Amino acid sequence: MATTTASLTITSSDLVGDALSLSTTNNVYKAGTTTGLEQTTGIASVYLTATTQIDLFNPVRTAAADAGKNSWIYICNNSEDETEYATIKISNQTVGRLYAGDFMWMPWNRSARFVDVSLTPSVATGMRIEYGLFYESLEHLASTDARTFQDE
Amino acid sequence: MATTTATITLSSSDLLSNELALSTTSTLTTAGTSTGVTQASGLSRKTTSAASAAAIQAVNLYRAGDYTADKANKVYIKNTSTTASEYFTVHIDQEEIGRLYAGDWMFMPWNATSGTKAVFTVTFASTWAAGDTWEFDGITMTAANSTLADIAAQVDALNYPNWTTTYVATEATIIFSARYASSASEEVWVTADGTLNTAGSGTANISSAAVGSKSESDITIRPSVHTDMTYEAMLIHE
Repeated sequence: MATTTASLTITSSDLVGDALSLSTTNNVYKAGTTTGLEQTTGIASVYLTATTQIDLFNPVRTAAADAGKNSWIYICNNSEDETEYATIKISNQTVGRLYAGDFMWMPWNRSARFVDVSLTPSVATGMRIEYGLFYESLEHLASTDARTFQDE
Repeated sequence: MATTTATITLSSSDLLSNELALSTTSTLTTAGTSTGVTQASGLSRKTTSAASAAAIQAVNLYRAGDYTADKANKVYIKNTSTTASEYFTVHIDQEEIGRLYAGDWMFMPWNATSGTKAVFTVTFASTWAAGDTWEFDGITMTAANSTLADIAAQVDALNYPNWTTTYVATEATIIFSARYASSASEEVWVTADGTLNTAGSGTANISSAAVGSKSESDITIRPSVHTDMTYEAMLIHE
């Protein structure tokens, strides 16, 4: 069993009246257990030069095997231009925009079929994105699989 | 301008053959600028419970209509439970994002796309008298005199739990706007006509109305058990 730890610190001396100093840490586990996740895509880095919406994590065809299993998503917009952002969606639902330097860390449980995580750069002039998936279960399609996917 | 930083660290010595040691720090700024965000909900903490599993209700954590869409908003949510099997399911509108099991936290951007708010206009007309009443949304206005513009001003001065008002001085009309985007407000408009109590021929008819549309990105969380579960949350926004 692997031990993977995710920590977050949010600090500010002047956002609110009291100094903000939030710190939290957790181990990423399989759903409902204290057994650590053992699989990851690793942290990938891509340089996107179009404003086309792309799938970071592909649709899952068979929910039965993966439904409710735990996954964690990390995405970071490494752009240094403050006006550039990447729009993140789950299925057809917009989550939000990651502006230059922003990151996100969120669970992804894929309880429904065809739930993909997609990203759309705001510019075509080049935007570097880092992303990774830590997961419990993920279907890999056979190379001969002719199924096609669409959002539901 | 406030300076707020968020740092994430992902680490593992045994997930991969190579040690994982990722650390990213972001200074939280307003959309498209280098100006620091200046608003936050503050860190909140709440325990949910219900009488039974069948009575579990989702908690509406943040309503999109209260914030500006497509800004650099950030949401932090943590499940403080220590029972491994307990989780909160996080939704944006009807889309399930994922589950926060015991001790899990998330930090994500939020576009806060709202719907539109229902609106209607009430026009005060005919003969009113001091002491006439008009009730709407549980609030009663008692006319101080018979002047229609004064009555409209009185209606405007009251505080309604589910509606806000717009009034132009000297006019006899009031525009009501729903506090929250929704597509199910028609029934409330009807009651606005039916609670008039006047000694004369005074009227308070709806002269125009428009249906709203529901919010597209409210954030809700639903506990997995009806026994006590506690979450922490914070919204940093523009």
